[in-house]
Amino acid sequence: MRNMGVAVAVVLLCWAGLAAEKFIVGSDIAWPPFEWVSAKGDYLGFDLDVMRMIAVLEGYEIEIQAIAFDSIIPAVIAGQIDIGASGFTITAERAQVVDFSSPYWVSDQMVLVRADSGLNIITALMPGKKVGAQRGTTGAFWVEDNLIAQGVAVELVLYETYPEAIMDLLAGRIHAVIQDQAPSEQAVRQYPGQLLIAGIIKTYEEFGFLVAKGDPKKILPRIERGMQKLRETGAWDNLVSAYFGNPLEVIEAAWEACISILTVERDPVRYAACLAAKVQELRK
Amino acid sequence: MALEHWLKVWASLPVLLQGLSVNLALLGGLLSLGFVLGIVFAVLEVYGPRPLRFFASLYSWLFRSIPEILLLLLVWLGPSRFGKPITGFTAAVIALGLRSSAYQAQIFRGALQAVPAGQMLAARALGLSKLQAVRHVLLPQAFRLSLAGWGNEFAVVLKDTTLAYAVGVVEVMFHARSLGAREMPLTLPAYITVALLFLGLTYAGLSLLGVVEKKLRIPGLEARR
Repeated sequence: MRNMGVAVAVVLLCWAGLAAEKFIVGSDIAWPPFEWVSAKGDYLGFDLDVMRMIAVLEGYEIEIQAIAFDSIIPAVIAGQIDIGASGFTITAERAQVVDFSSPYWVSDQMVLVRADSGLNIITALMPGKKVGAQRGTTGAFWVEDNLIAQGVAVELVLYETYPEAIMDLLAGRIHAVIQDQAPSEQAVRQYPGQLLIAGIIKTYEEFGFLVAKGDPKKILPRIERGMQKLRETGAWDNLVSAYFGNPLEVIEAAWEACISILTVERDPVRYAACLAAKVQELRK
Repeated sequence: MALEHWLKVWASLPVLLQGLSVNLALLGGLLSLGFVLGIVFAVLEVYGPRPLRFFASLYSWLFRSIPEILLLLLVWLGPSRFGKPITGFTAAVIALGLRSSAYQAQIFRGALQAVPAGQMLAARALGLSKLQAVRHVLLPQAFRLSLAGWGNEFAVVLKDTTLAYAVGVVEVMFHARSLGAREMPLTLPAYITVALLFLGLTYAGLSLLGVVEKKLRIPGLEARR
């Protein structure tokens, strides 16, 4: 019996095998269109494809790991994962504990309410109102910094994931949900007639990929170089046009048709062109 | 919860079942680890010399005190601080396995103590060493007595495997949440489906243990008290 215990322990410890030049990318894969799990169980999304394309261009391997959003930065700090790619807004607080790439996306915050609530962006954020947000997101920080800290006594209700906040809004327990633009628009599309965009808060937030402080593995220069190449070749624009403003089923179908160009033929530029063209074709 | 949403969850059942197989792998790992360590610590706590007895009760106290989710995060994030990152799966097996071993130790301790003291004396009188007596006389009887409590622990840890979601293990709850993240109206149907899967699993597991219990029963022995 005791020998078996030792054997179990040894096997467990040996699982932590490492390959060379492989970086682990952590992402909360529940935030379309930046990252989500397809109906077939594949990980896709803008962030993840950018990571995959840069890896091909810069000649390293990546492994994408699904991690809860508020665990990603602790995991990067602990060295558990190498890169955080999950629609992270670059903030001064975060920049104190991790290093960011240059901005790759700009987003504003959106406030959603129930269509039948009659609330607008002013009345939805008045004292006494319950405002929902995902824990650790800039939407939640915005409510803390610009409402609660300024004496506007709204009640901030935090959720592990964004869909849970939307569920609670639909259930009538909270009055509004604050979240980035793209996922908010996605939510409104999925609940036609039930949700309404009360308004946009122009926060002009910049998204960045993040690595451990000091970038010990020297990943950031490679990400920068990769983003540069993607922009110069037009692959970046193709990726943007494919991922934003389209139904998820369409993107998934296009992704499935084209992804082998990236993973097998290892040609990011042609992959992005294929994805954009296929999305256009399927939308018709 | 319109029918179309249920149909979509139904179409994703293979993905959910694939996630469930990860939960079962976790369950196998953590129950084995918990079982082996649980027996060791139970025997130490009942028959060990005084310092080891104290150590065993300290161990049980420690791993029954820390909230599971915290234990999970500590085991997951802790080792990588020292340059030894472990995967979420390994972390979950270790954290949940250690926790389970503390509970299993108490189950086996109770069962060992329920075996009449005369058994040990008789075994020793027949010339068995203390260790031999524990192994050949007391543990087999204790196992039979511990089955009911052990079934309870099985039902608890089976559900605990869904906590591994927090450390990035791609198990059934991860897929259920993913369905909701992709298409929010699927959230509730997906959660209900997972609940039904666990109802089925628990039923199957407990039925199996019931059969084992019946097979191992010695008519007249347990009823003597």
